[in-house]
Amino acid sequence: MEYAIELKGITKSFGPVAANKNINLSLEKGEILALLGENGSGKTTLMNMLSGIYMPDSGSIFIDGKKVSINSPEDSGKLGIGMVHQHFKLVERFTALENIRIGMRDAGRFMHGADVRKKIEDTAAKFGFDIDLDKTVANMAVSEKQTLEILKVLCYGAKIIILDEPTAVLTVQEIDRLFDVLRKMKEEGHSIIIITHKLNEVMAISDRVAVLRHGEYIDTVVTKETNEKALTELMVGRKIELNIDRPVMEKTHPLLEIRDLTIKNDEGAVAIDHINFYIRGGEMLGVAGIAGSGQKELCEAIAGLRKIEDGQMIHEGESIVGMSPKKILEHGISMSFIPEDRLGMGLAPSLSITDNMILKNYNESKGIFVDRKSARVEAQKVIDRLEVVTPSTETPVRRLSGGNVQKVLLGREIKSGPNVLITAYPVRGLDINSSYTIYNILNEQKKKGVGILFVGEDLDVMLALCDKIMVICHGKLQGVVNSNHTTKEEIGLMMTGTINIVNKEGKTDGIAKDSAFTDEEVKA
Amino acid sequence: MKKYHLVRRADAKLSRTLIFYAVGILVSLTIGAIVLGVLGINPFDYYGKMFTIGLVGNRYGYKSIEGLLKIFVPLLITSLALSLSFKMRFWNIGGEGEFLIGAITASIIAFNSSGMPNFVTVLLMCLAAMISSGIIGIAIAALKVRFNTNETLMTLMINYIMLYVIRYIGETKADWNFFLREDSERPKFGTFPDSAVMTGIPMGQFKLLWSVIIALALTAIVYVYLKYTKQGYEISVVGDSSATAKYAGMSVGKIVLRTMFISSAMIGLAAALTVSASGTISDTVTNNVGWTGIIVAWLSKLSVPAVFVTSILISILQYGCQAAATQYPAIDSNYADLLQGLILFSVLVADFAANFKIVKKEEAKNA
Repeated sequence: MEYAIELKGITKSFGPVAANKNINLSLEKGEILALLGENGSGKTTLMNMLSGIYMPDSGSIFIDGKKVSINSPEDSGKLGIGMVHQHFKLVERFTALENIRIGMRDAGRFMHGADVRKKIEDTAAKFGFDIDLDKTVANMAVSEKQTLEILKVLCYGAKIIILDEPTAVLTVQEIDRLFDVLRKMKEEGHSIIIITHKLNEVMAISDRVAVLRHGEYIDTVVTKETNEKALTELMVGRKIELNIDRPVMEKTHPLLEIRDLTIKNDEGAVAIDHINFYIRGGEMLGVAGIAGSGQKELCEAIAGLRKIEDGQMIHEGESIVGMSPKKILEHGISMSFIPEDRLGMGLAPSLSITDNMILKNYNESKGIFVDRKSARVEAQKVIDRLEVVTPSTETPVRRLSGGNVQKVLLGREIKSGPNVLITAYPVRGLDINSSYTIYNILNEQKKKGVGILFVGEDLDVMLALCDKIMVICHGKLQGVVNSNHTTKEEIGLMMTGTINIVNKEGKTDGIAKDSAFTDEEVKA
Repeated sequence: MKKYHLVRRADAKLSRTLIFYAVGILVSLTIGAIVLGVLGINPFDYYGKMFTIGLVGNRYGYKSIEGLLKIFVPLLITSLALSLSFKMRFWNIGGEGEFLIGAITASIIAFNSSGMPNFVTVLLMCLAAMISSGIIGIAIAALKVRFNTNETLMTLMINYIMLYVIRYIGETKADWNFFLREDSERPKFGTFPDSAVMTGIPMGQFKLLWSVIIALALTAIVYVYLKYTKQGYEISVVGDSSATAKYAGMSVGKIVLRTMFISSAMIGLAAALTVSASGTISDTVTNNVGWTGIIVAWLSKLSVPAVFVTSILISILQYGCQAAATQYPAIDSNYADLLQGLILFSVLVADFAANFKIVKKEEAKNA
């Protein structure tokens, strides 16, 4: 039979990292296909190739049975493919109508022609959209913006619609409404690919599910013939034995305790929702969760870079809420945060390794001058100890490769001798050897009695490396599990919100028995 | 579909940059030569006079040097000041306005200084100019820090506000207006009393003004400040990534305010030195240093030694053009401006060509 889209042997690499390996995928006409996979499994890369943002290194794409080459988003649009990105691509100051109009190439000269409005209104009515065409995007709520994005691609005549995590930003009622629209589109003969992590939504909306894992195509199953547990297994895979050490240490008292912490993200939505947890000295606590479940906000809040809405953060018995990043640093909480672009926070990319070494303590030396002499010695020490590959200590960090950048960052954090180390995605984009170096560095710190918060993405690694793993889903705590007594599947189900073990089996998760909190503080 | 792409060259070789610069300057000089030829002037003669800034065969050669330095000092200080804020990625394009504020406040003191000791007056002029320009700089920085206003717009508008303020002063005959000459019917800026005119170290007929020494000292100070001090380090970090600066515990707002104050105050100082050296003020007192300084700073890639060299070269170009133009009745200073524009433009193009290359789109994707 003829498929709406058929992908054969698609491969795409970014430098040494293969994002998609030999992927075969098919989308039937008039079906809703869910694309399922963990972070970094290559879903978005694959879809970006369909929408003309990337070009595959090898493999072929067939649309309606015909082989095509998609060189630009324009090509993609002409082939009837429309993508609704996770981050909206709208002009904030334009109205809904104008946003749709600017992409209509063949609708005459005028921005506000009557026929333009008619066409948009007709399309909206056909699919049951409720939208005010004269509202500016800046005044729209998130769900309205999304409606607009979908209406936009429909107005451009797309027959194949790709939605990248459309439900991540919506409330339950809004999701229901979105699904109604999707079903209507399906009735009209459109084919839809929906990327999502949430298994209950997959079950609710899709006809078939395609699963990717680590850039590889795993399988496509018919939704009716599967269940959430089977899908989780496909998604996370069987446990792989990794040779990562996990020294068991005598745990000390709770160093960092977090109670009822609530944080909002930049958009003002709740990112972390009343979370409790603690880290003891000599312990590594993993944080597992689908990307964007509040990990970034949590790290920033602990480091004092983000305001908290509610709750308490106590470090060695002293509240760090409202302290400046500098004060928190002086308290011994050190964060090496590796955001998506890796160099964004934590390092100044154009400055040398030496200059980056002293980023946090340049002010400690006496006088008005920066003490570069000892900084250079420190830099050399880090380079030697962590085997950083660099021409010299004066090389700008920007010129180093990913693994070496990470080593510099971690090296500096460790140098200051913290007692709580927060590290997020420290091995992202690194090869195996560099990753093991990083694990060893972290383990050494743990042996010294440092409490480590490890925000990670690879469950195999976290199970091997961390003592305990706390799982969050949409900012809510799903439970804290012991790495020795859990399975990858269990964590996977917790990550997708399918199970929640907080306060089950008589446990009080996230609150230490020997807490430094006094009774008054708990009440307050 | 666009077939070609601009790609930054991976290796920045100094030799290539210099070759491109040389080619660019040669091209602009050739165009200038054609214009000269059309006017019936031997271009080699003209260029010879221009590059020797009228020194050769001139009994009053020292005057040429003095004239050159009068252009050089404000340009150098302003370029240094702008480099300081650009290094922080604060786009201060209000050099003209900040200069004029300083010039006006310095002149207020100058016109009212009869009988005061010279040293005290000039010192007061400098201080007043630095404080007034600095306050404007800090005000714009504060708006940026507090309300995230666009500093490019703010600093740009200051230029026009101050330009019209000084024109108003220069064209309004009134009792309060001590800026103007009393003995002239038409409004005309007066000259400073001797107490406010910059002195220097006499070397034969030539007089080395204190302002030159101050400018040289400032260059050294700014070099050390940016390269070795903690505050200079903070400027680099904030400029590189303000998120990182915050994460490192720096108070970014304070650093921005402080740096903008220093930057504007330096421009104010340049203004005070300029009006004191020329002994008067006018609405063309800036000689466009606020604009030229931007070009100097960027051509120098914000490096202090390079700013120093570039300022000298541009001063020679400016002064040489003017000096040569005076000797030919067929051309006036407009030609000097034209040639300057040509050379600066071609150097900027050369700089661009030295740093980027054009490649076909396919290669860009594979790169």
